[in-house]
Amino acid sequence: MQKPNANREKIIELLEHAGGVTEESVREVHQQTGIAEADIWGTGLFYTLLREPGKRIRLCDGLTCQMFGADSLANELTDAGKMVERVSCLGQCDLAPASLDENMELVTYAKHQTAISPPNEFAMNLAGEVDLTYSALAKVRAMDPEDVISALESSGLQGRGGAGFPAHFKWTSVRQQAATERYVICNADEAEPGTFKDRELMLRQTHKMLEGLAIAAYVIEAKEIYIYIRGEYTNEYRAIERALEESKDALKEYEFTIVKGHGAYICGEETALLESLEGKRGMPRLKPPYPTESGFRGKPSLIHNVETIACVPSIIHRGGDWFRALGKTEAGSKLYCISGHVVAPGVYELPLGVSLDELVEAAGGYVGNPIAFSPGGASSGFLPITERNLPLDYKHLADAGSMLGSAGVVVINDTVDMAKAAAWQLEFFERESCGQCAPCRIGTQYIRRQVDQFVQLGDPASLELTGDVGWEMEEGSICGLGMVAAKPLESARKHFPDAFKTRD
Amino acid sequence: MNYPNQKRVETFSIEINGRSCRAISGETVVDVARREGIEIPTLCHDTRLEPAGACRVCLVEVEGQRRLQPGCAWKVYPDMKVTTESGRIEKHRTILYSMYMADHQLDESGLPVETGNGNQLRELCKTIDPLPLEPVNAPRAGRPDDVNPYIEFNPDLCILCARCTRYCDEVEAVNAITLSNRGGETTIATAGNRGLLDTTCELCGGCIATCPTGALIEKKAPENLVTLQTEVTRSTCNFCGVGCQLDLHTHNDRVVKITSPEPGETVNDGNLCVKGRFAYDFIHHEDRITTPLVRGTDGELHPASWEQALTAVANGLKSVKDKYGADSLGFISSSRCTGEENYLMQKLSRAVFGTNNVHQCAAT
Repeated sequence: MQKPNANREKIIELLEHAGGVTEESVREVHQQTGIAEADIWGTGLFYTLLREPGKRIRLCDGLTCQMFGADSLANELTDAGKMVERVSCLGQCDLAPASLDENMELVTYAKHQTAISPPNEFAMNLAGEVDLTYSALAKVRAMDPEDVISALESSGLQGRGGAGFPAHFKWTSVRQQAATERYVICNADEAEPGTFKDRELMLRQTHKMLEGLAIAAYVIEAKEIYIYIRGEYTNEYRAIERALEESKDALKEYEFTIVKGHGAYICGEETALLESLEGKRGMPRLKPPYPTESGFRGKPSLIHNVETIACVPSIIHRGGDWFRALGKTEAGSKLYCISGHVVAPGVYELPLGVSLDELVEAAGGYVGNPIAFSPGGASSGFLPITERNLPLDYKHLADAGSMLGSAGVVVINDTVDMAKAAAWQLEFFERESCGQCAPCRIGTQYIRRQVDQFVQLGDPASLELTGDVGWEMEEGSICGLGMVAAKPLESARKHFPDAFKTRD
Repeated sequence: MNYPNQKRVETFSIEINGRSCRAISGETVVDVARREGIEIPTLCHDTRLEPAGACRVCLVEVEGQRRLQPGCAWKVYPDMKVTTESGRIEKHRTILYSMYMADHQLDESGLPVETGNGNQLRELCKTIDPLPLEPVNAPRAGRPDDVNPYIEFNPDLCILCARCTRYCDEVEAVNAITLSNRGGETTIATAGNRGLLDTTCELCGGCIATCPTGALIEKKAPENLVTLQTEVTRSTCNFCGVGCQLDLHTHNDRVVKITSPEPGETVNDGNLCVKGRFAYDFIHHEDRITTPLVRGTDGELHPASWEQALTAVANGLKSVKDKYGADSLGFISSSRCTGEENYLMQKLSRAVFGTNNVHQCAAT
């Protein structure tokens, strides 16, 4: 049976097939779906990858890529007659600077390869052997669903997408809903600058993710599983397709759908992701109701980040206590992304709560004289290197006014101007603000302009009111993007006051 | 009525600013506050639309909630405690309004400009001592080439509350306009940025009526409308039989604008169609016929009384019937007639003249 809004859900993909938003493509999609032309137009233009049809190179301007000369690379490419568009973080910070070619295939300019932890006894074990047996799923199917949730609870698993919310609450909440039409949704829209852990997980241990999703579907009694993956992750999309093919038999009871994002960081916010899945502009919803109660198609939905859901099979195999004990200050092992001024950038699985020094030691040491780091993506702001012994976990970082977020750690040495680093991050938030609520829409524009003005003119007066605006962004915005968008500036000013003094 | 999923209706009390207020399940904080005469400012709120919570003007403190919450969307529950005035809320309003001002066209006094349809943002900004934020100059595009005769969009006055696009979708189901682009570039657009005449737009002008800042405005209304002394007269639209109520805004006995009474007041619930809102030029048109005319033996039309005119019509109809029979007559009533008038027309046709040749022009 066709779902009531099935046509609306198709429009973004149809626009992609039509090559992006043009008057003609919008008319065509309108004729195919019956959805109003204006709605198709407005939805399409929300998404960067649909906005300007035509082939071009997409060059990352995330923090790490900027630190490694993305601006001059852009000039070189343009001088060579290429059409270049600067885009938000591509999730290739370990290989910076990075780009996508005209066919959306990855091209990186680093001289090294991604480093990952050697085979280990941790939950993800990225370099370990791939387990195709789906034995955790088989084990779960002989279990009482409540016992699965108890195992999750005793594991202490926290959402690894950024919020750190105890995972088992969501499972319980969905199971308590009266509605029987329920969905499992995997948030693979990894786009927080500095973050590329889900990328490696999808490439190397795809089956852990798929098995976790199937276990979740069994427990919440869902049949349909959606994987929302960012449109820039071409290789990862193919890896999931391949893995689904390999595990056809084991997963035959579940209907998997992979949905591509189209260039909108905000769609990593779970309710914006739902809007996008429903064929709409990715504008976050007001909460409550929460997705566990009213999610995809208004039905109870369990949404988890790739890494969170991929922890589940190991927890089933080896028990919640085993997982909990893997952590140092909080439960479990954790994939840390590290890039910037370190010897071997990459993804390292370590006990949750290691310090920056311990993480960097795993990554071969610092390069140059480190002054700062960003512990969890752009949203976490900056911390001074004096915090190098702080446990990198949810609680300690929150107490320090930052956050673990997606554990996208970027190390910055003294070759970087911290005011400029803040400006790069602010530019990202300005570009990725959905525009729905005024505090974020106006605030991201305002503070980015003021910092640019300061960098150009060197007069701290430019920044006088940014603190007030930042306060309102945090208090008044609808979603987390607006709430943290002033953080890079606020934290840089707090920890690096010298970078914001009068300049000549 | 806005909450069809609400199964049971319960009444209970909530506390607003320490005052106990009666509330009904399904209501929002703003619903209750308005009934109690407690002022919570709003911009993106329209009782006909699903709450958007987008303008953030109505944020209030709800006990137990770490964050400020939008009163327009926050549903009440028993014993809930709400604060609408506090130092935190005052600070929030001061900075938020100041930010709106940095994204809005201002007049010489530094306030958001006045428009022919008022500007609610201007009124709100009068209540604060604004921060002097530099303008952000958002790259918000308009549609300067839109030649439609009635509706004008000024992006410099738009606050992106989306009342117009939500109205066009949720109330009119026309979907001619949409939010488009993203972030600072977000604007109100049509497919292909075409003029409204080349879209599904029916030019009802409901977008103008719901716009809180005058970013959407009647092209026909005089520019100095706000300073003109106008009188408002309630009337009934006579373009069709629905009976929509109109407020005629007149200056020197001439209609300069027509609006609907507020939503919830009259049968049309704040809505009008293109005719009711914009087709008032005939009122003062020089060609308008203001007295019955009867064609004389000289072949010219001459002013006559209603008595004379109706007699001429009756005689004419009767003579046709006498000469050619009743079925040589046909009666067609206007789509402007009410149901009662249409009933009388078929009565006249069938009972008085004895023919079934009767029709109503809106029926085909």
